[in-house]
Amino acid sequence: MNLKDRMMRVLVCGALLSPAWTVMGATAPAVAPAKSVPAAAQPAAANASSADTPPPAEAPAPPVPAADAPPAELKTLDQEVQGLKKDVVDLNKDLFVLQEELLFPANTQVALYISMDVGTFFALDSVTVKIDNKEVKNYLYTAREADALLKGGVQQIYLGNLKVGKHELVAFFTGKGSAERDYKRGASINFDKGVGAKYLELKITDRVPKHQPEFLIKDWE
Amino acid sequence: MLSAAISTASHAAGPSILGKDAPDFVLRGLDGRNLRLSEFRGQVVLVNFWTRSDGDSRLQMPALDRINITYQRAGLVVLGVSVDDDLRRSKEFATAMGVSYPILFDTGSQIGKDYFLQKMPMTILVDRAGVVRYSAVGFRRGDERVYLDKIRELLRE
Repeated sequence: MNLKDRMMRVLVCGALLSPAWTVMGATAPAVAPAKSVPAAAQPAAANASSADTPPPAEAPAPPVPAADAPPAELKTLDQEVQGLKKDVVDLNKDLFVLQEELLFPANTQVALYISMDVGTFFALDSVTVKIDNKEVKNYLYTAREADALLKGGVQQIYLGNLKVGKHELVAFFTGKGSAERDYKRGASINFDKGVGAKYLELKITDRVPKHQPEFLIKDWE
Repeated sequence: MLSAAISTASHAAGPSILGKDAPDFVLRGLDGRNLRLSEFRGQVVLVNFWTRSDGDSRLQMPALDRINITYQRAGLVVLGVSVDDDLRRSKEFATAMGVSYPILFDTGSQIGKDYFLQKMPMTILVDRAGVVRYSAVGFRRGDERVYLDKIRELLRE
């Protein structure tokens, strides 16, 4: 089922389940059911009943309010509601993916990720990213977020659009080095943005021989 | 009369953040730590936006300090956010006040826009689900009783 069909189904089911439709069989006001039509409407209903219309006693069974509906019908209604809920969740997911595709289409999309395996020589505090000399991201890390990176997490730090062609990315890493000293380093990469999404990774690693952290920018081919 | 006072205080804030999800922010604190509002999800958070030049802010901070000391163990988090342009002086002021809760510094303008900051100080209460449930502008002696009633109500939820 495509997106449009799914949206139509959601709208129709929502209309069907609205309060105006809770009395089942409410489409037949011309027939004078004994219970569900108020007294003031009965004369009008009686007038509307012509010789061609069977008398109320022989009329089709009056519409039964939902509260008195047999359990089987309630079960069907419940299944409809559950199906509707699932459709809403699926629709929400599709809309999110669609939104991302519209805002960051693959042919201009550039995504930047950051990973860290350092623990000894550098405690990350913030990262600033510039593309073509324009600051696009400045991210402050809380202790919890830095910890998540140390545990192996990879964070999508930036998602944006770039035209096809040559570009330069510069990243500045600020934090605490050994002995709690302030530490700021940069790394840069010149890359070609072609047709298709571009993924780059900022890697912070320990360089044990030199007792220094190393900052790299990798291209995910 | 109490609820009227609350609603008056809330309406004085102009366009309102009340009832909406608290916009997330991450700021550097006086102690050098970065704190993100959403990391306190599950706790009741009192966020106080202030400037050092505002007399009400100076009056309010000791009251908030007492609230923090009393209710911290019950799960309340108090955050002070300075929206001063002069970072150095703001830090000096915060150090001099010596409160027990984190003071964060915002030198950009995004938080001001997100929270519709117009007049200082502004105090909001965020519930455990991250929704702003109370908002007030200004401070007079006695207003802390209003905060306490609301804090107790949110802590009981």
